[in-house]
Amino acid sequence: MEAPPVTVMPVTGGAINMMEYLLQGSVLDQALESLLHRLRGLCDNMEPETFADHEMVHLLKGQQGQPFLLRARHSLSSPTDPWHLRYLGQPEVGDKSRHALVRNCVDVATSQSLPDFLNEMGFRMDHEFVAKGHIFRKGSMKVVVSKLWRVLVPGNTENTEPLSLSYLVELSVLAPAGQDNVSEDMRSFAEQLKPLVHLEKIDPKKHT
Amino acid sequence: MSRCRDGIRTVLRRALKVPWRFNRRWWVRRTCVCSVCQVPVLEGKSVQQTVDMLHRQLEQLGAMKQGSFWVDCETYHTTGTASGQPSKLLYVMHNSEAPLSCTALFEGGPCLMADGNFDVLMVKLKSHFQNAKGHKVESRGARYRYCDFLVKLGTVTMNSSARGISVEVEYCACVVPGDCWNLIKEFIQSFLGPNVPELPSVFATKAEGLFVPADAVDTMTQYLELFGKVRKQQVLQGASVR
Repeated sequence: MEAPPVTVMPVTGGAINMMEYLLQGSVLDQALESLLHRLRGLCDNMEPETFADHEMVHLLKGQQGQPFLLRARHSLSSPTDPWHLRYLGQPEVGDKSRHALVRNCVDVATSQSLPDFLNEMGFRMDHEFVAKGHIFRKGSMKVVVSKLWRVLVPGNTENTEPLSLSYLVELSVLAPAGQDNVSEDMRSFAEQLKPLVHLEKIDPKKHT
Repeated sequence: MSRCRDGIRTVLRRALKVPWRFNRRWWVRRTCVCSVCQVPVLEGKSVQQTVDMLHRQLEQLGAMKQGSFWVDCETYHTTGTASGQPSKLLYVMHNSEAPLSCTALFEGGPCLMADGNFDVLMVKLKSHFQNAKGHKVESRGARYRYCDFLVKLGTVTMNSSARGISVEVEYCACVVPGDCWNLIKEFIQSFLGPNVPELPSVFATKAEGLFVPADAVDTMTQYLELFGKVRKQQVLQGASVR
């Protein structure tokens, strides 16, 4: 399963408001090997780690305001592992001094009854996909290179087709709110991956 | 035996800042058959006096005190549901045996074991699920060990006032309720006298010979039932419980 962020546990006596700093980019399928080779050289020396995850995006619609969105993810390669429930807040692009997109983030590890439980809470599944790829780490930074697969028959993760001819590349760090200096480290790491991949802060609002 | 079901690996991982990996079934450490029941307050005595008396009885029996315990339950109700849908109650419970985990459940519905960040998520969900702060119930007290039995004697409080007494008895040498219920009953009888509980409904509704689940859901379901009774008592009796 895709490795969860480095710091997700609450501290004793109250949880920290965690922010995810994110840079995104993509590479064509043909360029994957050279990017992986570069990442193996740059990142921490660890066992090559791959994952195949199924993600379901659930919506809770209230009487007013925006629907509440939660992501439930589980590993297809290790089905007995806990599920991963994720809340992501509104992304903030910020000014030029901040080099990464920032969004509030809550990660919860749960038991396998998560889909039934979300259904009981009133959430309804909006869409689902399968992500397969590789994970790298560099200190507190996490690099995920993954291909997204469209699920053709709802709930059947065997029957999928690739969403595009490219791989999504995400560089992320989880840090307490206000630690904008991590975006500087991310920028310098992203520089080292050029020209294989251009990691940028992509405003999702501009793509809806 | 470690008192913390979250275990030393979680603690070490945090202390050493080791990247946190989802640990397989991290909430599972120990499986026991467990019974939770409410003990009536003795006539003419207060909750505290009755608890003190039970403490003495356990100590006379030879039970060893092993620290303290707590179990709490927060109530959330849905807000802004679509017209015609009844408001649901969601309970989020914590247990000192697994202090980094929480149990979220609907009465008679599905149950979810999650890590402590679920509480943070509920704060984010406050526009859809409102915390009924006045409904927080908790049980706190001492934890005793007597051979293979673990006894937790707690004072149930609601809005900081004592509302009743809870007794949790775990038998850790067996995982099949049907096989050890009579033994547990006999043990409870030795310090509670005639106030022996019936086989908990969580076990009664299951097929005989079935193993208890390893995630302590049965324990939390029993506490939820007990807290529900205490809440109803408050409505019915008002201040009659001293």
